[in-house]
Amino acid sequence: MFSTRRLVFLSLLVALGTVLHVVEGFVSVPLLLPGVKLGLANIVTLFAIYLYGLRAGLAVATARVLLGSLIGGVFLSPAFLLAFSGAIASTLVMALLFKHTSCFSVIGISMAGAIGHNMGQLLAASLILRSSAVFYYLPFLLLAGIPTGLFTGYILMTLLDRLEKADILSGMIRE
Amino acid sequence: MTRGDKYLAAGILLVAIFALAFPRLQSSLFPMATSSAQAVIKARGKIVREVDLSDRGGRSTLVVNGRVGPSTLEVEGKRIRMKEANCPDKICVRQGWIEKPGDSIVCIPGEILVRIEGAAPLDAVTR
Repeated sequence: MFSTRRLVFLSLLVALGTVLHVVEGFVSVPLLLPGVKLGLANIVTLFAIYLYGLRAGLAVATARVLLGSLIGGVFLSPAFLLAFSGAIASTLVMALLFKHTSCFSVIGISMAGAIGHNMGQLLAASLILRSSAVFYYLPFLLLAGIPTGLFTGYILMTLLDRLEKADILSGMIRE
Repeated sequence: MTRGDKYLAAGILLVAIFALAFPRLQSSLFPMATSSAQAVIKARGKIVREVDLSDRGGRSTLVVNGRVGPSTLEVEGKRIRMKEANCPDKICVRQGWIEKPGDSIVCIPGEILVRIEGAAPLDAVTR
């Protein structure tokens, strides 16, 4: 399991992610398509992967979705299933790229995570509706994933930069 | 941003554009491949007829044998209705014309099901 030190940081990340998850539910991005979100909570998931790897990322993503949908009142509803499958898919994609590739910065990984999130959601939606018609939405979600992934990736990059300069990052990674 | 990031973004863009263009490309290259709506008629659990519903078609009737005797369906252009039926309540007849994919006429006593199938518009949006 995680050491106490990690557990504390992970708990902080879960809290952060939950807040972002809930707040994001209130804010819809104007001009964009229905259902398109910035994916702010994904920043926290990728941060957890960056610090401690896949298991931590999955733990943070799962806990965040569970808590967030309990607060939002959609626990075990279709909305919850969509959020859950999206979060798991994006975590897996991001952890895979983070561990096994070196050509992407957190911005690229974040973009891939956004796409993974959308794919996971579409897959869940098609299973729930027992219809493949939702995949007509795929190109629009792919297009939306580029700017939102860029945005969240850029935020994380800035965050990592500042944490490094303030000499906090190494302390977070240390056992 | 690294070079990999840019390639990734470009790749996603390409896939998205291709995915957007493909259904349109397909329908313009093979107009017959993406057929319009069809009425699938089931009686006593088995598919007995499939009728193409297109603008060109004129008015026609067909008879289906259900559990309570023959029922008459009428097709007119893109729409279909139950014209006459032997069932006691005539709910299927009173329902009138249906034309959208996903619409259906059900006659419980006659065990007749008419359902329009085809490229349905989006029926739900993920949030």
